[in-house]
Amino acid sequence: MEENVITETKTSLNDVISVVYFNAENAVFDVKNNFLTLDAKLKNEQGETEDKKFPRVYLHRAFPFDNPFSYISVLDKDNKEIGIIRELKDLDENSQNLIVDELHRKYYAPSIKTIQSVKERYGYSYWKVTSDAGDLSFTLQDTFRSILKVGNNRVFIVDIDNNRYEIPDVEALDFKSYKKIELYL
Amino acid sequence: MQTRETLINRLTKINRYINEDDIVVVFEYNLKNDSDNEKVDGFIVVLKDKLFNYLNDNIIEEFELKDVKEFKISLGVGCIFIECKLNETEEDRMICRSDMAYNRLYAAITKRLNKYLEQNKYTYNYEEEMMKACPKCGRPFAPGSTYCEHCVKKKEYLKRLYVIAKPYRKYIFITIILFFIITACTLITPYISKIIVDEYIVSEHPELVVLSSFIIMIIAMVAVDLFSQALGIIRSLTLIKAGNSLVVKLRELIFNKIQQLSLSRISKRTAGELMHRVTGDTSQLQHFITREVGNIIEQLLIFIAIGTYLFIYNWQLALMIILPLPVVIVASRMFWRFIHRIYHRQWNYEAKSSTMLHDIFSGIRVVKSFGMEKQEKDRYDEQIAKLRDTSIKNERFWAIVSPFLNLLVSAGEFFLLYYVGSKVIGGEMTLGQMAQFSVYVGIIYGPMRWMGNLPRYLVRVMTSIVKIFDIIDEKIEVSDKDTAVDLDIKGYIDIENMSFGYDETVDVLKNINLSIKPGEMIGIVGRSGVGKSTLINLVMRLYDVGEGSIKIDGVDLREISQESLRSQIGVVLQETFLFSGTIYDNIAYAKADATRDEIITASKIAGAHQFIMKLPEAYNTKVGERGYTLSGGERQRVSIARALLHDPRILILDEATASLDCETEKQIQDSLQKLIKDRTTLAIAHRLSTLRNATRLIVLDKGTVAEVGTHEELLRKKGIYYGLVMAQRQMSKMSKEAGT
Repeated sequence: MEENVITETKTSLNDVISVVYFNAENAVFDVKNNFLTLDAKLKNEQGETEDKKFPRVYLHRAFPFDNPFSYISVLDKDNKEIGIIRELKDLDENSQNLIVDELHRKYYAPSIKTIQSVKERYGYSYWKVTSDAGDLSFTLQDTFRSILKVGNNRVFIVDIDNNRYEIPDVEALDFKSYKKIELYL
Repeated sequence: MQTRETLINRLTKINRYINEDDIVVVFEYNLKNDSDNEKVDGFIVVLKDKLFNYLNDNIIEEFELKDVKEFKISLGVGCIFIECKLNETEEDRMICRSDMAYNRLYAAITKRLNKYLEQNKYTYNYEEEMMKACPKCGRPFAPGSTYCEHCVKKKEYLKRLYVIAKPYRKYIFITIILFFIITACTLITPYISKIIVDEYIVSEHPELVVLSSFIIMIIAMVAVDLFSQALGIIRSLTLIKAGNSLVVKLRELIFNKIQQLSLSRISKRTAGELMHRVTGDTSQLQHFITREVGNIIEQLLIFIAIGTYLFIYNWQLALMIILPLPVVIVASRMFWRFIHRIYHRQWNYEAKSSTMLHDIFSGIRVVKSFGMEKQEKDRYDEQIAKLRDTSIKNERFWAIVSPFLNLLVSAGEFFLLYYVGSKVIGGEMTLGQMAQFSVYVGIIYGPMRWMGNLPRYLVRVMTSIVKIFDIIDEKIEVSDKDTAVDLDIKGYIDIENMSFGYDETVDVLKNINLSIKPGEMIGIVGRSGVGKSTLINLVMRLYDVGEGSIKIDGVDLREISQESLRSQIGVVLQETFLFSGTIYDNIAYAKADATRDEIITASKIAGAHQFIMKLPEAYNTKVGERGYTLSGGERQRVSIARALLHDPRILILDEATASLDCETEKQIQDSLQKLIKDRTTLAIAHRLSTLRNATRLIVLDKGTVAEVGTHEELLRKKGIYYGLVMAQRQMSKMSKEAGT
């Protein structure tokens, strides 16, 4: 606890935090061996701009539910934030595509198109659905708590293994599918 | 998930030259390495010197194992990767990607692969990790449980319940006999009334009716009724007795089990869930035994008895009564499903609005200080309006539909009235028989309607029974071996190559080596979340280590009886929990036979005596819920006294003095100092001055021991510890400046 206080006070007093935002001028992303690399122009402690190469960077969404393709944090191999991509369009086109690909790869959540059946037994519910990744079946432990409503009609389902499934718009589901999930919303 | 066997079969079909003995591991994956999220069918084979990646039975990639430095897991969100680091370039390479169902399997596999890289040894026994799913139906098990809800043998559970119920069987036996008698009474009454009607009221020869025997018949009817009511009372009493005793017994079993379970198992479930197991599921069962079991027997007996009677008497009539049965059942089930839905919605809204209220009230200080009263009121109004609308809709629906439903259910009775009525008019049946019949029909429709709901009751109670046995059957992880010894602890602690993680994927502590002698005070420092508390939890054996060992006086922790171990360890935890009771009770918690002198001494060392004596009721002051509220620092001192009371050989202080002001802390530290001399002390503190008396400091970083040494040694080293000290100095300097 105490330590947190210290770092907070330290950072807020010693250096006024300025967030590094990436754009086409200061960052170019590329891919090597399946992994994202970054060439960035960053200011060092003396305030001079330096070229820095990162052989592997990681992405993390700041607002995965409501803003999945903006405010993407770029982290180095020690999980330290290098900077943030505010909007994809700030980057050059190739980098944009690579970022989208990497996000799709890291955040795996099949999107559910129809719900074939939901069976409840002994406190668990067993689901059969059709998704963009094919037919899937999964199990939820605590059905009510496993179905998260995000925003108005967007729904996330987290199964017993911690897999995620998305329904972009529950009301756009066909009537039969909707009836099956309605109870839990 | 495909087993090793299946994969090896597939592999040998593709490549006949592969020898099974050369396979180190083989495992499947179901996602491609790129951003294409379609499920795929692939597997990885690691042979003695090479790794192959098969996708749709074709090799798409291969590595020489000698190029690989280590394998590792990297977590996506909703998916998991296995990667490796290459020897020469230190570059990362991706091996495969799968969804989270493979979490545990991949963790086990990477560990095993790394062991193979290091020691060139491999084992086959990882398959149990793979068999996480039910071997019978392939569905996944619930975490922490070893049964499959689908393939569970319900009969077996009922049998076990029967075994547990052994002492109460005589009650059950008595009730069943009572049920028979009561059912017989229920059937006799309409028969008597038939005689009354036919032979007395509408007698063909009224002049022959003897008034006294008419009265006797009525008295007989009353007597039968009274008798059956009296038996009914006895029956309920025995059932309640049986049900309650069984439930108390089950609660005992569950409670004992929870107490025996390791902390890791317990923390996988919330306190609420455990409470529900102990109270909710058992009272579900209690309700079932005391109410529903009675109903089931009674209704079935009635159904069989009247049904048989009706069939023997007039089978056409009987058919007519029973024919609507399926219709009634189907109709009422459909209706129930529908009504259940809308009631559920209403219930949901109710729950939401009460949660909201709870939220607003508990945060009322925030609400008021940010001036958000209006917004909160609007939010609540909106929620309440939703609830109102749904509940109006429900009531309206109920008001309109339920009369129709009742009509449907009783439609059969109308047909019957017509049929029996015309028989009476035609002279084929007497008025008394008609009366008797309509009573029987009325009675038999009861069980028929009720049977529609039976499956629901059964599912509900089976769920509870399954969950109760789930806990009772749970394997005790941290358990005493038969060979466990009682040890008179001197205070040597040796930690050797110890690794531990709360789940399989991430090790919180990695390869820790430490040797501690009695009389040493070891300070453990490091960032939050680095594993300091985990380390001391492991020394207390609240969890068992993953790899390596912790030894006390040269004996592995797992060989020491838990009781003897914990009775010689004194702990002051970060969370200072006081039970409801007096301060005295709380200090004497783990040593009920402590003398008053001992308690006062311990309190004095802990710096608690002084403040306790300022309270009007002193040591008898009630604390805990509804008691006197102690401040954070006061609670901490009581906890320290509690830990010191049984004169522990090993003392563990986890932020024990963090809530105290510096002066009080120093006082306690000084008195502890004398105590610590011939004991082993492990202390965690963020405030580094707390540890100034430590003989050695251990700096944890990224799950490993980064630095060891005295305060001075570490300062000279200018490493992590130096950084922490400087940060704190700067901090205290700043606060001084801010103060002036």
